[in-house]
Amino acid sequence: MRDKIYKNVTIFFFLLPALLLFVGVLIYPIFMSAYYSFFDLRSVSTTNMPFYGIKNYIELFTSGSISFWKALGNSLLLAILSVFLQLPLSLGLALMLGKGIKGERAFLSIYFMPVLISTVVIGQLWRKIYNPDYGILNAVLSLMGIEGAMPLGGWLGNVKSALWCVFIPTLWQYVGYHMLLMYAGVRSVSPELREAAKLDGATDAQVDWYVVIPCIKNILRVSVIFAVTGSLKSFDLIYVLTEGGPLHATEVPSTLMINMLFLRNRYGMGSTIAVLMILLCFAFALLISAAFKEREYYGRKKHT
Amino acid sequence: MKLKKVAATLLASAMILSLAACGKDTNSGSGSGSNNTDLKSEKITLNMWCIATESDSNRHSYEEAIKEMKAEYPDITLNWEAFENQSYKTKIKAAVAADELPDIFFTWSCAFLGDFVNAGKVYCLDDTYQAYKSELPEVMMGNSTYNGKHYGVPLTMNIVGLFANMDLLKEAGYTEIPGTYDEFIACCDALKAKGIIPFGCAGSETWCVTEYLESVIEKSVGADALNDIFLGRATWNNAEVGKAVDTFQKMVNDGYFDPNGISLKNDEVKNNFMAGKYAFYMNGTWNCADFANDPNFFPKVKVAEFPVINSGAAKLGQLIGGPSDTLAVAASSKNAAAAAKYTFELGKKICHYGYLDGCGLPAWTPYGDTSSVNGLTQAVSEICAKADSYVLFGDTAMNADEANTYLDYVAQVYGCQIDGAGFIKGLSKDIR
Amino acid sequence: MAEKNTLNAYSLDQYQVGKTNKVVKTLIYIGLVIWAMIDLFPIYWMFTFSLKSNEEVYGMNVMGLPRDWLWSNYQRAMTTGNMPRYFLNSIIVTVAAILISLIAALMATYAITRIIWKGSQLTYSFFMLGITIPIHASIVPIFITLSKAHMLNSYWSLIVPYSAFSLSMAILICTGFMNDIPKDLDEAAKIDGCGLWQTFGMIIVPLMKPALATISIYTFLQCWNELMFANVFISKNALKTLPVGIQALSGQHTTDWGPIGAALVIATFPTLLTYIFMSKNIQESFIAGAVKG
Repeated sequence: MRDKIYKNVTIFFFLLPALLLFVGVLIYPIFMSAYYSFFDLRSVSTTNMPFYGIKNYIELFTSGSISFWKALGNSLLLAILSVFLQLPLSLGLALMLGKGIKGERAFLSIYFMPVLISTVVIGQLWRKIYNPDYGILNAVLSLMGIEGAMPLGGWLGNVKSALWCVFIPTLWQYVGYHMLLMYAGVRSVSPELREAAKLDGATDAQVDWYVVIPCIKNILRVSVIFAVTGSLKSFDLIYVLTEGGPLHATEVPSTLMINMLFLRNRYGMGSTIAVLMILLCFAFALLISAAFKEREYYGRKKHT
Repeated sequence: MKLKKVAATLLASAMILSLAACGKDTNSGSGSGSNNTDLKSEKITLNMWCIATESDSNRHSYEEAIKEMKAEYPDITLNWEAFENQSYKTKIKAAVAADELPDIFFTWSCAFLGDFVNAGKVYCLDDTYQAYKSELPEVMMGNSTYNGKHYGVPLTMNIVGLFANMDLLKEAGYTEIPGTYDEFIACCDALKAKGIIPFGCAGSETWCVTEYLESVIEKSVGADALNDIFLGRATWNNAEVGKAVDTFQKMVNDGYFDPNGISLKNDEVKNNFMAGKYAFYMNGTWNCADFANDPNFFPKVKVAEFPVINSGAAKLGQLIGGPSDTLAVAASSKNAAAAAKYTFELGKKICHYGYLDGCGLPAWTPYGDTSSVNGLTQAVSEICAKADSYVLFGDTAMNADEANTYLDYVAQVYGCQIDGAGFIKGLSKDIR
Repeated sequence: MAEKNTLNAYSLDQYQVGKTNKVVKTLIYIGLVIWAMIDLFPIYWMFTFSLKSNEEVYGMNVMGLPRDWLWSNYQRAMTTGNMPRYFLNSIIVTVAAILISLIAALMATYAITRIIWKGSQLTYSFFMLGITIPIHASIVPIFITLSKAHMLNSYWSLIVPYSAFSLSMAILICTGFMNDIPKDLDEAAKIDGCGLWQTFGMIIVPLMKPALATISIYTFLQCWNELMFANVFISKNALKTLPVGIQALSGQHTTDWGPIGAALVIATFPTLLTYIFMSKNIQESFIAGAVKG
């Protein structure tokens, strides 16, 4: 009995630091956010805030100057772009590198480099790259003989192009990240398996498609989860590049939230956005897990 | 000599205007301490935040004023930091919420400061002000007065000026800035025909768009109507305002504005204007300082008032602007009384040097030799001397939430996502 | 990951697969080189404009190496830009966050994976919630709490949130590594009379050394870049971290490219140099995280 109590106390102490941090800084604040979202909180003084019901939620979805729908759509679009452009590109690079090419290490190191650069630096750098008057992008394009490719208003100023222009630096930074994860997977596929497939007459592409990719499905799933939740959480780069503009063309929930908090003093409304962001992230994480599970299930069925 | 007279008339004319009664209902305020502080005997450290960054026109006047203060009060250490305009708005609000204000902080007057006063975070300057009454006219304190109490030390006052690059105008066959709206539009068309972009405007900082839009609205519906709307005495549901917005939007659609401006910051646009990329640049008259400092550019630039669009409701002499740049003292300051006194002294000097540099017109009665003030600023004081009403910048006149709603709709107008009807409909729905 | 491959899974040692068609190989090379150029060119360009005057940036020499090497840009970034201070602050905050999350994660993981008790799996899942939760979601309550406690503008106001946000990933990685340590060791220690604490301190922690590097890298990536919290919680110049400092600096010199470029280079090159010298270790540790997780 005393042993058991001792064990439980020990477990508790082992868990204590992590629990304190996790609950104190993450779980408890999230519940407070949910609570605040029902109040018209306009300063940090929480003693006297008027109860607002779901008015914040209603205003969020109906106001003509907040455009939450737009922000939601943008972050979904960013997630889709990451999954269907960034990840295939990473996978392609990983597969190519996985062939055992000369200079493999150098390529690997170069590709991973942008991951280590601070997002703010990348944002500032790309602001300069996109500069409509003196930016390098225009210079490079005109060097290649492409004149007048810049959309009206500048790369970051055109409502139609801005989101793409914000996505490209993200891609630039994170391709290396996913590439390295996938590369590790590609490398872990046993050489014998590949050899066997080759002996059976499979081309390189076929080996990649039928042997390598199925083997690294777990890593792909991790990458998809990271890419999607990463897009839903994205803030730094957008904040530095456009602050959500022009005209909310690059607005995402997190930039909107900061705008609510510190430009409009609407803490209640900011909390409302936070709550919706959490729900969104969870919904997507579940969705992705479900999607991969489904496939796994059918895949197994087919083979047996 | 002439200048002094102009400044005097300016002050006199300001008297009649009762400069926008900003203080709505303020229930809180911090008591002011005793005034018997002798700054010379204090050994304290004060912190100050402002927006006089190195690329800001006011930088030099701050540096000079602070240098002089240091010499006069060697025992007071002032640590000051400057932040970029747009990000400062976030920063200062976060600091107010956190009760982390520095002792002295730069603020815009009226509703911007009013939000902080309402929250009880600003030190009341009534007692300290008594000693400066003769140098700082009461009327100039109007925009930072709430419930009859003074909370801010005004520095300079500025209006929106229509700056023109006369070299470019000459190319289009104009030697003067056109005085009527029809001529003005004809001039823009002539410029466009020559391949010159008429206007530069920083779309990524919406306040720059309002410098244009507010002038257009004021010259269409008149100063009183606009003032009533800004101060909440009338609703946005005003068809005339909608029409004025359409007038502005027509200028955008007619290609008068640099399309690349939408992604630029104001500093970049100003640079472009000085580099001869635009014929006109509508912005605050604090820019006179930067223009005067560029010997290549200065001879080319002239300033004028935006022409009247609808003479039935508006007339010349109705301007956008007023004393907005203000220093305030945090209620949480440990040395609030000393900081208050220091702020008045500092404000007087910043105003002095700012005026000499051409950063704006003085809110304080000018002292010393002011004959070196540049010609552009002199032209501005002449415009102001003839003025009979001022409407304060909209985003300063409204509280934070409303101001940002307003700015958002202004951006939508500039981006041609809504027209005038959509503008007034949206604003009257979202504000109040 | 397939169990039998865990050993070579995160080793980057060369091995050759099959013979690949020459044409395909050339195409692959071209593709790889193009992407490498895309990665390197902006970094090269950043370096060049950091040494140029505005005249050169705005003028004809947009892409080439600077004609006059303007080191004074760096001087301005260092002195008026205050970059060394920001760098130091970032290091302090990041290192502290890494240490705290490391210790907390090691302890928690030990309790979850090495001690048998009923709620261990549930506790693990609970911590894993943190992987998907966007950290921004907690900013309002934390801000309100910190401001009421007058705790804003301190290193702790960043260190504590950062360690909390890194915790889930750290536990995830720790679990992977700790599961690889044979359970027999615990048994042996128990027979030798070690309590749980001794087993943890004397046996498990020393064996977790490879995990430390991996966790540190992931935590570093998260904390070093963080902008939102740092931007909101820190307003004192002396406490700003690199991201906030650079943001402030670029706001002050929108049209002055040189000093901004210099600040960007100063913020980037120490990390990149460290990386170049340790790239293999860093990559292997990074990959280990993915494989173990």
